[in-house]
Amino acid sequence: MNSIGLALAIIGAACASLFAGIGSAKGVGLVGEAAAGVVSVDPNKFSKVLILQLLPGTQGLYGLLTAILMLRKIGILGGDLADLSTAQGLMFLAAAMPIAIVGLFSGIAQGRAAAAGVGITAKKPEHNGKGIIMAAMVETYAILALLVSILIINNISI
Amino acid sequence: MAKLRMKKIELIALLTDSKKIIELLQRHGVIELCRNSDEELENTNVTAVVGEFEKFRTTVVQAMDVLDRYAPEKGSITDMFGGRTEVETDNFGREAMKLEKIMSAAGEILRQNKLIADSESRISQLEVKNDTLKQWLPLDVPMNFRGTDTTKAFIGTVPYAVSAEQIEDMLPEGCSAETVYSSKEQTDLFVICLNEAADEAEEILRKNTFIPISDPDSHTAAEQIKLSGEEISRLEKTIESAENEIKKLSENRREFKFAIDYLTMRKDKYEALSSLGFTENTFVLTGFIPEKYADQLRKEIESKYTASVEFTDPAEDEDVPVLLENSGFSSPVEGITRMYAMPGKKDVDPTPVMSFFYYLFFGMMLSDAGYGLVMLIGTTIALKKFRLEKSMRKTLTMFRNCGISTLIWGALFGSWFGDIVQVVGREFLGKDIGSIALWFEPMDEPIKLLLYSFGLGILHLFLGVAVSFRMSWKEGRKLDAVLDTLPIYMIVLGVAPLGASILTDVPDILKTIGTPVLIAGVVLLVLTSGRSSKSIFGKFFGGLYALYNTATGYLSDILSYSRLLALGLATGSIAGVINLIGTMPENTVLKAILLVIVFIVGHTVNMAINLLGAYVHTDRLQFVELFSKFYTGGGREFSPLTVNTKYIKFKEENYNE
Repeated sequence: MNSIGLALAIIGAACASLFAGIGSAKGVGLVGEAAAGVVSVDPNKFSKVLILQLLPGTQGLYGLLTAILMLRKIGILGGDLADLSTAQGLMFLAAAMPIAIVGLFSGIAQGRAAAAGVGITAKKPEHNGKGIIMAAMVETYAILALLVSILIINNISI
Repeated sequence: MAKLRMKKIELIALLTDSKKIIELLQRHGVIELCRNSDEELENTNVTAVVGEFEKFRTTVVQAMDVLDRYAPEKGSITDMFGGRTEVETDNFGREAMKLEKIMSAAGEILRQNKLIADSESRISQLEVKNDTLKQWLPLDVPMNFRGTDTTKAFIGTVPYAVSAEQIEDMLPEGCSAETVYSSKEQTDLFVICLNEAADEAEEILRKNTFIPISDPDSHTAAEQIKLSGEEISRLEKTIESAENEIKKLSENRREFKFAIDYLTMRKDKYEALSSLGFTENTFVLTGFIPEKYADQLRKEIESKYTASVEFTDPAEDEDVPVLLENSGFSSPVEGITRMYAMPGKKDVDPTPVMSFFYYLFFGMMLSDAGYGLVMLIGTTIALKKFRLEKSMRKTLTMFRNCGISTLIWGALFGSWFGDIVQVVGREFLGKDIGSIALWFEPMDEPIKLLLYSFGLGILHLFLGVAVSFRMSWKEGRKLDAVLDTLPIYMIVLGVAPLGASILTDVPDILKTIGTPVLIAGVVLLVLTSGRSSKSIFGKFFGGLYALYNTATGYLSDILSYSRLLALGLATGSIAGVINLIGTMPENTVLKAILLVIVFIVGHTVNMAINLLGAYVHTDRLQFVELFSKFYTGGGREFSPLTVNTKYIKFKEENYNE
């Protein structure tokens, strides 16, 4: 059994949840700071800004999703450990990269956009939805990266 | 249906009926008033009356705030959805008669509140003073002690640490110093000198930044602390009794609510009066009214009052407000349209266009039958049980419909709270249940679902393009309608089999048909898109530019629908992880207990997050991908003169509710 291949695949899974998670954490934190400012003035806006705060959280979920798919495929979750060659391990590592890296940066960028959206909510609460949509635009790229990650994982034959 | 046709109304009636007619219009809520612009008619000035109502209203609102602080209303989740209390119109009049009593109660609450605030600030003042006095406790002479016949006393502080001896060394003969309190930043001193040494001592003390204590009292520190303690407890009693007084007055809460609404209504009514035009005996009212209510209103007004009601079509350049009306299936998503923008003058209402796909996409993204069931049951109960406001009712109906769609998609994909059926089967019954999907499991065949997502996306986009075709066609630009849409259909349809062949096997026949269709579409687009340009170069480059735009635009639009797959997979796999965590222990009993806990907490969180995700991304697919094909927005929402109440609701029929 080639344990290097397996180790590489696990590093890949770890990277996916790690970097996407960091991106989301930064993004959500960023919006949280802005949101707290608004709530301190008008506590009634809590639910509106909470939605904005949650938006950059999805990258972390995508990272988790990718990691789970990989762990399932290599048999760490519920099944027998697959016998991976070093090349296959590297493939899994590569598969994790799109969502890991795009997740990191898009999470932060989306956090910024959502924090600006909190500004809309503070001044013109009725246009809150527009702020949500603007922040959601950023997420498209995380979704595309997730898609590529999933497609690669799905097509690695073991 | 969609946008309601608006009519312009001109109503002329006797001045004596003006208030009654305005009241009637206010209760029906179907007319948006326009300001009188006819210079031959007089306007009224109602600022003073409106200001008076506003002042009263503010008093009651403040009193309500105070009540909420000291005697909060016992609320429950049902109240949140409870909507406004319904009252009969006559009842309302009777409540309004009590206004004077209500105002005096509100005034009393504010007075008691001020008493509390004043007492509290006095208490904190005293407490600060006590804190400083505590340092002087060891000194048993009154604080304003100036000395005896033969001596002079100085009581005060220096802003540094110093000992009694050090001070005495500085002072002339015949002086004695005592430190009452000492810290790093401050030393409290009591200095006593014989009369003859006093002047010199005072001079030395001043040079050493000695500061006599400010406004000294004729009591000792201990006595003073005792006295202010007594005052504090007196003030506390005052506060307590004021609070009790407020609590007693809280029985007026219901009346306050009435008063706030009543005053708001009166204020709105008088503001409405200010937009009327007057002659000596008559008044003229102009405004917009949805056509369908016009005849009904005319009949009612003409039968009750001496009045003339005329309806005309609004002029081309007039800023006509927009009111949406849709079928029961589409109207729940009107809120989504409103969130983007109301339809402008040339727009069609996008609500019926998107409603079907809205539910479809929402369900596909959440795609868990268990979550769909929870949504369906929750919203159905809420809709049945609670008296809800119209907008809340619509939102809940929208989520109910989305819940049904989620249930269907979840069943198709075999996801009930993730894989809970399989997990229970495997862990507790020792049976491998396998897939219960009615169609297929997305996790096993993501590519298949991805292709279906793109397919649905293409249908969605084509729908948008078709609407723009219909709009151009209706405007009479039939050639434009065809040339703007046909090449797009051809290109997308032609390229689809080629694109799909990257991901899966596509029958050769489709590819063979696809290529010429694509080429024909591209040629048509390049040749015709520059038609508005005059020069031959303009035509050519305009065509190329349109090709570039179409290619990149539609490619990214279609790829964007991959979120249907991604979000669906996210829900399912996280739900799977939750179930997995729940079954970690070996012991069956422990496993069962843990699973129940993790199941409830985990799925609640997962559902909340994915509900939000599905909602946001469904909106996005509508706004960005669909609306960009035909919709501009920018209309103004119809805002009629209506009963704008917060707490109460009239039983009498409002046409527009």
